[in-house]
Parts: sequence; C-alpha cells; structure tokens
Amino acid sequence: MSDPGTSDKLAGLLAQCGLGNRRAFAELYEASKSKLFAVSLRIVRERHIAEEVLQESFVSIWNNAAKYASAKSAPMTWMTAIVRNRSLDIVRRPLVEIADEDDVFALNMQDERPGPPEQLNIRRDQVRIERCLKGLDAEQLQTISLAFFQGLTHSEVADHLGRPLGTVKTHIRRGLQKLKGCLEP
Amino acid sequence: MKLAHPGLRSALAAEYVLGTMRGAARRRFESYLQSDDALRHEVQRWESHLLPLADRLPAVAPPDRVWKRIEARLDQNVAGKAGPAPSSLWSSLAFWRNLGLASSGLAAALLVAVLALKPVEPDRVLSAVLAEENNVVRIVVEQPRAGLLNVKMVKPWRTDSGFAHELWVIPKQGAPRSVGVINDATDTQIRLAGLDARLADGAAFAVSLEPPGGSPTGAPTGKVVCQGSIAWMPVKSSRPGTQI
Repeated sequence: MSDPGTSDKLAGLLAQCGLGNRRAFAELYEASKSKLFAVSLRIVRERHIAEEVLQESFVSIWNNAAKYASAKSAPMTWMTAIVRNRSLDIVRRPLVEIADEDDVFALNMQDERPGPPEQLNIRRDQVRIERCLKGLDAEQLQTISLAFFQGLTHSEVADHLGRPLGTVKTHIRRGLQKLKGCLEP
Repeated sequence: MKLAHPGLRSALAAEYVLGTMRGAARRRFESYLQSDDALRHEVQRWESHLLPLADRLPAVAPPDRVWKRIEARLDQNVAGKAGPAPSSLWSSLAFWRNLGLASSGLAAALLVAVLALKPVEPDRVLSAVLAEENNVVRIVVEQPRAGLLNVKMVKPWRTDSGFAHELWVIPKQGAPRSVGVINDATDTQIRLAGLDARLADGAAFAVSLEPPGGSPTGAPTGKVVCQGSIAWMPVKSSRPGTQI
C-alpha cells in the first residue's frame, strides 16, 4: 500500500520492532494509526470498540513484528490484515443504517485528488486493483464494496440492497472470480 | 468443507479476506490456515490484492489514550520479564500470565473432562489446555501422578516443519523452564528428574518452535505456538476415580 518509499520505511520500522525497539514502534504507530483506525471504525462502527481493536492490534503487531520478515507482504497490508481480522472477529452489531454508498462510487472514479508529494508516486498495487475493479459489473462492484469497506456479511448486504441473499452471494463470488482473472492473468 | 478443489480454495480465501466469511466458518478456515501453507499463500495473495483498497478510506485519528494504553500493555509485559529472551515471546507469555484463567469455553470444558477422567494420586493435580492465539486448542497437559506428565495431542502439527516443539513451564516468578521436546503429532509422556520441583510454582505452559533437538540456549528462542494457564486442583481423596 502507499508508495514504495513509505513502504520501505514501515518495513524498516517493523524490523526494528522485532528487535524490541520501542521508539521504532512509536514511529510505526504514528505513521499508520489513522489509516488503521479508519479501517476498524468502518467495520465495528463504534469508536470505543475501534479503539480497543487498534490497541490490541498494535500489541499483536509488536509481539509478531519479528515474524513480519517472513510474511512477504507490504507492511501496511500486513498490519491492515491484523486490524481487519480483529475487527471482523468482534463485530456483533445489529444491522443499523449504513452511512452511504460513496465508497462504491469512490472506487469507480479516477483518483484526481491532489496529495502530498509521496502520494504522487505510483502506488502499484492500488492502481492495479482499481483498474480491475472498473472491469466489474455495477452490482458486483457495489456488493464487494459494501462487504469490504463496511464489513457487511452477505445477508447484511442483501438486506441493505433489498436483494435476495442468493443473488448477492452470486454477485460477490463472480465479482471476485473476475477480479482474480484480471489481477492474476 | 472440501478444500481440495483449487477454485474453491481460492474462492474461500477471497471471501475470508473480503470479510464475508464470518463466525464459525471463519474460525474453521483459520484452523485450516494453520496447517496449509498453500492456502495461507492464497490468502496472502488476496490480501495483497484487496487490502490496498483500504488506503482509500479517509484517515481518522484515534485519540491519544489509545497509544497510552498500548504503552501500558507493553510495560506490563516488560514488568513480567525475568531475563533476556526474545521480546515477542516474553511479551506474549507475560500478557498471557496476567490473563489468569480466562480460557475459552472450549478450553474450560476440556479441562473439566480431563480432570474427571483422571485417576488421582498426589494431593493436587495439574492440568492445562494449551491453545493458539485464536483459541484453537492444540494440546492438553496433565499430571497423572508425581514425576509424570502426559501431553495429549488435540490438534497435531505437521511433522515436516523442520522445527521441534518444546514445552515450557512458566513459573509465577522467573524465567521459563524447559520440560522437554514433545512429539509433533502424537501424545508424549514426559518423565524427568526433578519434574515436580520444576512444575511446583507453574502458572502456565507454553510451546515454542525450536531447532531440532530443542532450544540451544535453555531459554525459548522461537515463536510461541500455543499456551495455557495451569489449573491446580486440590485432591480430597486418593482413591482413583474420585471426581473433582
């Protein structure tokens, strides 16, 4: 995730954490906390739960930093997986109003946002997945986005869209298959 | 769930990463991941594909108290340290020790089952259910009589990992003590000189990955793969079959 420079820096910090360097850990936290908090907040919805998820995720990141080297994934990807898994494990919410479907359209649009200089660098992974997402049908994109960004289950997506559960499952499954075909040609 | 079909494996890995796989199915899938390298690799591929999308979310700064709590948790771990050892291992053990008997329902149920089955001899018996971080139970340790420890395999490890599984007792104070290397996939009986003294003030057991033959240093050097607190149960009667 993000540009290669940042990624290398985070990987270096993680390596330091693996050696027990608390200062590197503080820096790692500063650099990633807001993105990771946003990831959890979207899924668990309640701030105090998201705070707890972030806290436990970082304890886990610290404890497992020595193993990161063998994970073979980008540092943000590795940390995001930890935060998402923890969030998905604990979320027990009644189906409340889902904020909006902006995510769906956010994915569809070209990213023209101006950003700090490092954002101008090529984010290869991100560009690739976004290009592939554009190849999906509208319904596939919508269901996958709701599941990914809002942490909705199949049936929550179905309720939200007022579509039959089977239809939603099919959209998601076919959409993922299509993504795979595009990402791993 | 049949996991032989490549298309199915990939589809499940995708739904796992997407987050639509939940609850019991998610936990079951995670237990497959423990022992299936190719499946883990497939999950990592999907993570690399999908998770960069999270960068799209507008950042939300967490309150400062979160960092304070993280630091407190780490300090707590350090306070439990008793000697030079890999921090990750120690942190997790110390953290775990502080959790006391907060084992999962399954672990507790197993513990009761183990105790009920046991012919009793000493004035107190020891049992422990060792689980992975995600509560998947790996082994049960029990002490049927003085000088003997039985390690029962609940969920075997692969035998071709190239690592030895070494069992450690974590005392209330001080460094972990080795109880020996256990079998990867079958039950192990441990008879060891001074075993009971070694276990006497035990608070927890842990299993770490070590080079073949066990830790070269006498202290854990590798990843802790499962752990569990020790339950000491006083025994009222010495008649075999007495229930606790």
